[in-house]
Amino acid sequence: MNETFVTMGLEDIIEDTRDFLSEEFEVDRDLILPENSLKDTLDLDSLDYVDLVVLIEENLNIKVTGEDFKEIETFGDFYALIQKKLSL
Amino acid sequence: MIITKENITNFIPHRAPFLMIDNLIFADAERFESDFFIEENNVLVRSGYFEESGLIENIAQTCAAGFGFLDHGNGAEPKIGFIGAVTKLEVFELPAIHSKINTIVTPTYQLGNIFLVKGENYCNGRKLLECEIKIVVT
Repeated sequence: MNETFVTMGLEDIIEDTRDFLSEEFEVDRDLILPENSLKDTLDLDSLDYVDLVVLIEENLNIKVTGEDFKEIETFGDFYALIQKKLSL
Repeated sequence: MIITKENITNFIPHRAPFLMIDNLIFADAERFESDFFIEENNVLVRSGYFEESGLIENIAQTCAAGFGFLDHGNGAEPKIGFIGAVTKLEVFELPAIHSKINTIVTPTYQLGNIFLVKGENYCNGRKLLECEIKIVVT
């Protein structure tokens, strides 16, 4: 388990994630909802995914690969991945 | 020195007059280092100084040479890469003609065929420019 987030629950991590995603990708925080598309909401192209990987590592201290993104459609999928990576 | 000026075109696709690297000094998976002497007839020299675009191209070609060297060591053909984006660019000063610059490239992330690298140019120990470049490899 990632020690940095031992004391944080998934809800806290999701809120933090919404903060840094909305700031970095200049998207209204209220649009970052579990049922919404990650790619469409953040307007991601293939190069932006590299920025996303960097952001995730810098903010959550977890490594994400290209393979991981193949399973991700929505923010809900994304949070599930974070949960899995952090073993929460 | 691991690739000399005479052999550099065996490892990168760039050709004169758009060859912006002389020697590859060092390369491993974590760091590439090159040098480049700025001739006065370089196509990216203006008013006696090597332009910012030349420094960025020098970083990109250092990256190409580094990956080309590593690919060669693994028995693979050097791949073609394209600059996808240049970000976090800071220019501190431009080098004058007849100066030699040293360039350090640090690959930081890879996602599929896209590499994120940090590049820095130096001249006589002074930093000239730094940036991050996303390189898409074919």
